[in-house]
Amino acid sequence: MIDRALALFQLCDSNFPTGSFSHSFGMETYIQENLIFDKESFSKWLKVYLHEQLVYSDGLASKLAYEALVEDELDKVWELDRLLTVQNLARESRVGTQRMGEQMITIVEALYKIPITSQYRQRIKEKRSFGHSALAFTIVGHYLQVDKEMTIRYYLYSTIAALVQNAVRAIPLGQTTGQQIIHEFQQELSVATANVMKLDSIDFGIVSPGLELAQMQHERVNIRIFMS
Amino acid sequence: MTDWTGILELDLENRQGRTVAKKVYFQGALKVMRPVYLNNYNFPCYYLLNPGGGYLDGDTYRMKVTLDEGAEVTLTTQSATKVYKTPSKEAYQETEFHLKKDSYLEYLPDPLIAYQDARYFQKNTVYMEKGATLLYSDILTPGWSPEGKQFSYDQLRLINEIYMDNELIAFDHINLNPGAQEIGGLGFMEGYTHLGSLIVIGEKTDSALLDLLYETINEETADIKAGLSELYVPGFTIRLLANSTQVIERVFTACHHAISNQWYQMKPSFLRKY
Repeated sequence: MIDRALALFQLCDSNFPTGSFSHSFGMETYIQENLIFDKESFSKWLKVYLHEQLVYSDGLASKLAYEALVEDELDKVWELDRLLTVQNLARESRVGTQRMGEQMITIVEALYKIPITSQYRQRIKEKRSFGHSALAFTIVGHYLQVDKEMTIRYYLYSTIAALVQNAVRAIPLGQTTGQQIIHEFQQELSVATANVMKLDSIDFGIVSPGLELAQMQHERVNIRIFMS
Repeated sequence: MTDWTGILELDLENRQGRTVAKKVYFQGALKVMRPVYLNNYNFPCYYLLNPGGGYLDGDTYRMKVTLDEGAEVTLTTQSATKVYKTPSKEAYQETEFHLKKDSYLEYLPDPLIAYQDARYFQKNTVYMEKGATLLYSDILTPGWSPEGKQFSYDQLRLINEIYMDNELIAFDHINLNPGAQEIGGLGFMEGYTHLGSLIVIGEKTDSALLDLLYETINEETADIKAGLSELYVPGFTIRLLANSTQVIERVFTACHHAISNQWYQMKPSFLRKY
């Protein structure tokens, strides 16, 4: 008998090879502009990114996908895959999430034989779907019978933990500081998850202007260690 | 909804190389003026107007514009869209564009000015066929209040959905709630007051055009922050943060000129407003 939450937690490990270490989702633009330079300035950006972008895209998509999986409405999952991709107007972030999504689906398929993941992979191969980690993660959460709220919370945690690791390398920050930020963000993650639970499909894809602009500007940032 | 505050329908076709209206219909608080063929071009420019002078509590507007194969049009407004305070129900506007193959739409409305305590929801849906071209811009101002306070409106929600051959290809959702957000802060308006968006979809988009647009934007001397990125189909979005409507108009006009010159060796018309 496997511990279901623990099994899902494997996907949250920042060493889980989806390529998240290559993506800053605009953070690097702010680092170059000297607007992110220490623990406080990074935490501020991370809060805005979590509460003003991630909850409305990945978070809400995870919730809607989980509900669709419960109802066995797969078409809704594929629709969310397209929405998640095309609402990302910054090319590098969009391509980045596709690559990470594809990677996660491939690994998940090697771990679990979930028919929906195989279908997802097939659709990507046929260019009918794009691939997104939030959906791959939710498919596994649903399969493992981890409840909806916990699946969303773990997914958001995995994204935040990966970004903290990237900030530790890029700013740079000490490893202990990185762990302090992740620890402090437990409260933020609770708030974000509670918000996602209250959102409806009309709220999908809200993006705050500055964050998105920084994601677009990253294409022309001079010195880059990240692909987005 | 059946009781619209204003309805407008405009169907255009290409008749032997010249774009003309097939149907012009409006009712209530939306109106379109007679078309003007600026610069002797063979396509018209239509000025939309709101005879009421602004959007009021609970107002609902619906526009539908259809361009047949090869039809071309410039659409603009006669003046800024003003949304007055909405104590009980948000003002709402929905617009549908249907662009057939090889048609060309440029929709360049004046800025949006939301007054103190105003709530506004705008939804644009574009259904285009492959080969059609879209150029759309909008400008959000910090609004108006009697005390001169900026961002005193309650909420602005703007959604753009673009479909090509019935598949969603771009989705844009801006939702500004100055009361609940640190609107001037990092990640939001970042110290600027005005937000401009330019969405262009056209098969002729290439990296040379994008480089040219970067150069064009960089020539602007006012304090701005700009982002430009390619969409998943040939096309791109520009987001611009600035401190006045005029600066955004200047940058977007320069970009518009660059695009028209690159694609059609033409100059866009100067949209005279009285």
